[in-house]
Amino acid sequence: MKDALNRLDQLSRRQFVARAAKTALGVSILPIGAAKPLRAAGGGKAEHVIFFYMSGGMTHMETFDPKPGTETGGATKGIDTGVAGVQLAEFMPELAKRFKDIAVIRSMTQKTGDHRGGAYWMRTSYEPRATIIHPSMGPWAQTLLGKKHDTLPDSVVIGGGGEHPGAGFFGPALAPLPIGDPDKGVQNARPFEGVGEDLFDKRLDLMNTFDESFRRKFQTDEVKAYTQFYEETLKLMKSEDLETFDLMKEKDYDQKVQRYGNTRVGKGAMLAKRLVSSGVRFVEVVSGGWDMHNDLWSAMPQTGGQLDQALASLIDDLKADGLFEKTLICVGTEFGRTPVINVNGGRDHHPRVFSTMFAGGGISGGQVYGASDEKGIAVKENPVEAKDFNATIAYAMGLDLNKVIYAPSGRPFLVAGHTRDPKTDQIITEGHPIMPLFS
Amino acid sequence: MKTPTMKRCSSILLVAGLLLALNPLQAESRVWTSADGRTLQAEFVGTAGAGASAVVKLKIADGTVIDYPVSKLSEQDRLFVKGNLPTDPAALAAEIDKLVLTKLKESYYGLRDELAALPAKADLTPDEKVKRKEEIEREMLMCVPNELTNDNQFLRRIYLDVAGRIPTYDEAEAFLNDRAPNKRAVLIDKLLDSEGFAMRMYNYFGDLLRVREGITMMGNGDLKVDPYMEWIKASMREDKPYDQMVRELLTAKGKIWEEPAVGYLVSDQGMRLCNLSNTFTIFMGTEITCAQCHDHPFEEVYQMDFFKMAAFMGEVETSARGGGNMMMMSGGADYRAEVDRMNKVLKDAGKLRPNQNEDQNLGQWIGTHRMQVVDSGNNAVKLPHDYHYDDGEPNAPVKPDTYFGEKMDLSKFETPREAFADWVVSPGNPRFTINAVNRFWKIAFGLAQVEPVYNIPGHLDGQAQNYELLSFLETMMKDLDYSVKDFFRVLYNSQTYQREAETLTPSLTQVDKGTYHFPGPVLRRMTAEQIWDSLVALTTADPESVTRKGWEDYKTIMNVDFSSLKTADDILKWKEDWSNASKLVKYNGDVVSREDNVGGAQMFRASELRQPMPSDHFLRMFGQSDKQLIENQFSTGSSPQVMALLNGEITNRVLTSPDAYLVKEIAFGKGSKRDNVDKIFLSVLSRYPTSQEKSMAQSGMRAKTDRDMNEQQKTQAEAMAIGNVIWALVNTREFLFIQ
Repeated sequence: MKDALNRLDQLSRRQFVARAAKTALGVSILPIGAAKPLRAAGGGKAEHVIFFYMSGGMTHMETFDPKPGTETGGATKGIDTGVAGVQLAEFMPELAKRFKDIAVIRSMTQKTGDHRGGAYWMRTSYEPRATIIHPSMGPWAQTLLGKKHDTLPDSVVIGGGGEHPGAGFFGPALAPLPIGDPDKGVQNARPFEGVGEDLFDKRLDLMNTFDESFRRKFQTDEVKAYTQFYEETLKLMKSEDLETFDLMKEKDYDQKVQRYGNTRVGKGAMLAKRLVSSGVRFVEVVSGGWDMHNDLWSAMPQTGGQLDQALASLIDDLKADGLFEKTLICVGTEFGRTPVINVNGGRDHHPRVFSTMFAGGGISGGQVYGASDEKGIAVKENPVEAKDFNATIAYAMGLDLNKVIYAPSGRPFLVAGHTRDPKTDQIITEGHPIMPLFS
Repeated sequence: MKTPTMKRCSSILLVAGLLLALNPLQAESRVWTSADGRTLQAEFVGTAGAGASAVVKLKIADGTVIDYPVSKLSEQDRLFVKGNLPTDPAALAAEIDKLVLTKLKESYYGLRDELAALPAKADLTPDEKVKRKEEIEREMLMCVPNELTNDNQFLRRIYLDVAGRIPTYDEAEAFLNDRAPNKRAVLIDKLLDSEGFAMRMYNYFGDLLRVREGITMMGNGDLKVDPYMEWIKASMREDKPYDQMVRELLTAKGKIWEEPAVGYLVSDQGMRLCNLSNTFTIFMGTEITCAQCHDHPFEEVYQMDFFKMAAFMGEVETSARGGGNMMMMSGGADYRAEVDRMNKVLKDAGKLRPNQNEDQNLGQWIGTHRMQVVDSGNNAVKLPHDYHYDDGEPNAPVKPDTYFGEKMDLSKFETPREAFADWVVSPGNPRFTINAVNRFWKIAFGLAQVEPVYNIPGHLDGQAQNYELLSFLETMMKDLDYSVKDFFRVLYNSQTYQREAETLTPSLTQVDKGTYHFPGPVLRRMTAEQIWDSLVALTTADPESVTRKGWEDYKTIMNVDFSSLKTADDILKWKEDWSNASKLVKYNGDVVSREDNVGGAQMFRASELRQPMPSDHFLRMFGQSDKQLIENQFSTGSSPQVMALLNGEITNRVLTSPDAYLVKEIAFGKGSKRDNVDKIFLSVLSRYPTSQEKSMAQSGMRAKTDRDMNEQQKTQAEAMAIGNVIWALVNTREFLFIQ
C-alpha cells in the first residue's frame, strides 16, 4: 500500500517541490493578467460579494435577534419588520424597513471565543493551525473561477487590520488589495505632494540611467520582474483604474456621504459599491467597535446605527443600478455576546450562538433561518457554522464546493472546509450551503 | 598576513593542549573504530590536511604510519582527535573552495559529454533535443566560477549579509581606503562582533521561530515578547552554541520574563501536535505534518511515528489553569482575592467608570501569570479518535519513542522532553546538523544545498548533488562546536562567497535537483528587513543606536508584590509603569513613543520595531513575515512596493528633504560640495558613479540657481537636486538586489 502511494504521488511531490523552489527563488510572481476561468460557474448569481466584517464580536441581541422583555434581553426593544412575528432590534430601523430584501441567520455557532481565532474561522472555514494559513474567500473565488478583470484586483479589503488571512497558501500574488481609509484610496498611488509631472519624469530618467549597467549585467527573472512591475505601476498611475479607488470622484459625493453616513463603515460601503460597479469581484469592509464589554447601551446607537444606515443605502443603490441581484451582501462577525449582562454593563464573548445576514445575489429576502433559544444562549434549531456560512457564499458565487486544491506543501483543501468520507476515504466538503435562502 | 582567530576554538585547542601535556595522545595505543564499525589497534601520531581531506596519522603495530581519513572515523574517534584538527577559518574556507571547484569542473565535463552524446540519443524528439541543448549550454555557463568581487561589491554584500544593512558613508570610506591586505577578513570579524549581526540574525530567527507580539498564535495582548526577542539577540551576540540554543528552546520552563526561551513552546500554545511538526521543520529540516493525520505519502513516516514523537512533549503544558501552586503568589495570597481587593480599592476611590466594577489590567495580569511552561507529569498525547491503522487503538495512550536516529532511555532523564531535546541536538541525529548548515549556507549564498530547506530527503547522498560539500559542512559545524559566528566566518572567508553573484537564474530543475554548484552566490533581492535597515543606515550615523529595552522593566512589573499596592494611587502608578513598559523601545533609558521619528517614520532597525509591523507598513509590503508560519517572508515584487518607492514618504521626505541626514550631514557636511554626487552614490550603492552617471546627475539635475539667488536659496536648490539623485538611486534595481 505504502509503495503504491509512493508511486502515485511521485508526480505531485515533484510539483510541490518545484513550486516550493519557485517560492524560494521568488520568480513566480509576475503581474498576472486575466486568466480563463478554471471551470464554468455552476449556477450562482452572485458575480460580486460585499462582505461586511463586524470586528470584535457583534451582539446578536441588539441587532438581528432581539429578546425584548426577557431577563437577558436588557433594555433593547424590538422593531417590526412587516413579516409577522419577526422583529429586528431597535438599532436596525432601516434594515427592518427593507426586511423583504434581507435574510437573517439566527443560529450561527462557533467553536472559539477568542477574537482572532473566531475571525480566522469565519474568513477561512478552517481552525487556525501553526503550520498553514488558509485563504479567505476572495482569493478562493479567484482560484476557482479565474481572474475577473484584466487590470483591477479581484479582491479588496477596506479598513482591515494586520490579522487578515489574505490569500493564505495561494501566496501574495492573490492577496486582497488593502485599503486603509476609504477616502484615501490606494496608498501611494499619486506622486508625492510637490512632485510635479516634469520632476517625476526627470527622476525616472535618472533612475533608468543609473540602473542601466546593473540591469544589463543581471538579467535574472527576479530583476526583470521588478522592472516589469515598475512599468506596470507607472501605467497604473496614469490609468483610469486608479480612479475606481478614488471615492472623491464619486458623483454626488457629499449627498452620498449624507445617506451612507460620514463613517468608516458608511464610506467603506460607498467605496465597495464603486469597486463592484467597476468589476472588482470580492470586497470586504471591516468595521470595528463591537467588542462591547462595557456600557453596551451607550455604544449601540452609534455602532449599530452606522451599520444600519450603510447597509440600507447600499441595498437601495445596488437596486437602483440593477446590481442587487448579482451582488451578494453579507454581514459576519467572529461571535455574539453573552446574554448575561456583566458587572460593567456590557456583554462578553459568546460563540455558542450569534447572528449573521445575507442580501442580494440570488438570496430570497424576508426570511429568518435558524433560531436561538428564548434567552439567546444556545442554538435552538438549524445550527450554522462558519464553514456553512462560507459554503453559502461559495454557492451563491457558483464556486465548486468539492474542488480539491493542494497547498504548496501538498495538503488538500476545499473552499468551505473538508472532511473525509468514511466509506470512500475521499476528501469531501464539510460546509453546506443554506439552501432555503436560495428558494 | 594576520590570521583571523576563532576565540572559541582557540580555547578548545588550549584545553586539548593541556590534556596533551598531561597525558600525551601520541603515546596512547588504542582501538580505533571506523564509521562502518571496523576496528584497528594503533597509536595516534597526528593529523594532516583540513576538512574533508583531513587525515589522522596512525602508527600500527609494525611501526608503519598510515593516513586514515578523519571523515571515515566513528563519531567517538572523531571527537577524540577533534582538538588536533585545523580550525583556521582560511584553511577551512579553502577546503570549501576546493570542493566547490571540483564539483563545478566535474559537472562541466559531465554536461559536455551529455552535449556530445545528444545528437545520437534515440529517445528524444528533435524539438526535445533543441530544448535540452539549450538547457545544457546554459548550465555549462553556470559551471564556470565567477570573477572575484571588487572591494565595493564585497563591502556592500558582507554588510548586508552579516550586519543586515548597507554600510554607512563613513564605514564605506574607511574600508575602501584601507590598504591592509587582510582587510576583508578583518571586516568579517568586526561585523560578526557587531550588534548588527545580532539584529540581522534575530530577523532570521524571528521569521523561523515566528516571534511576534503577544507570542501565541492568536496573540495574547498582555504577554510581552521582549524577553524572548532579547534572548535570541543575546544568543547571537554571545555566540551561544547553536545546539545549546535549540536545547534551551525545547527544555525551558517557567514564565517568559524569567525564562525567555519558553517563548518557543508558548508560541504554539494549545497546538502541541503542530508544535512537534514545527520542531521537525525548523530544527531537522523534516516535514512530517502529513503524518499527523495519516501515514506520510512520500516518506517512511507513519502516523504512529508522529504520535510516538509527540509523546515526548506530551507532559508539557503552556498554560497553567485552575488552582495549585502555579496560581499562588510568592507571599501565598491567591491572585484572585488580591485582584478583587484592588478592584474594590479602585471602585471606592472613584477610579472606575460608573458602570464598571473591574479594572481590565488586573484581570490581564492574572492571565499573564498563567502563561507558563510546566511539566505536568501526565502525558496528554493520545492516538486520534479516528486512528485507523492496525498498530493501535483510537484514543490509546502512546509511549515516547524515536523513529530514526538514536533510541532514548527515558529513565536517564528527568522529563521525557529532556530526552527529546537530547535526541534532537545529538551529533548522532542525522538531520540536526545538516539542517543547520543547509539553512546557514542559504543565508550566505541565497540558495541552500538542498531545497526546500524544510524538507531534506531521508536519503541524502542521492539528492544533494554536492554531498561531499554538505557533509564537510556538517563535520565542520561539529568541529566548531556549533559556533554560529565561526561557521559564518568560514563561509564568508571563502572565495566561493567572495565571487561575483551569478548573472543567470538557476532553473527550477537545478534548484530541485541541487545541481546549481555555486560559481558564486545567487543574486538575491534584499529581505524586507535588509531594505528597511539599509534605509535606516541612510538616515543616521549609527543605525544600531536605538534598541528595544522594554524587557528590562517587564520582570519587575510582573513580579510586583500586590500587597504593597495599598491605595488607589499605588495601583494606578503600577498600571502606568506597565503601560510604559509596553511602549516599544527604550533609548538611553527613556521611553521612545511612536511619535518619535524621522520625517514621519520611525527609522529604527526592524529588529527593534513591532513584531511584525502592521500589514500596511513598508516592511510588510516588501515581504516581512507575518510571523504566523515558519519562514513566511517573501521577496517577490508587487505594485504597492513600487508605489511606496516612487511616491511614499520614505523616498520623498525622510531621505530627500533638505533636512534629511544624507543631504544635510553627508552631501553638505563632509568635504567639498563638488563631490556631492560621489558621496551620495557611495552612501546608497556603496560605489562611486561612473563619469557618465556623474555628469548626468550634475547636468540633468543641475540645481536651478540664478544670479539673483542668495547663498541660502542656492543651497536649498542644490539640496533639492541632491534629493532627486537619492530618490533615483533608491529606486534602482541595483539598490534592491545584493550582487
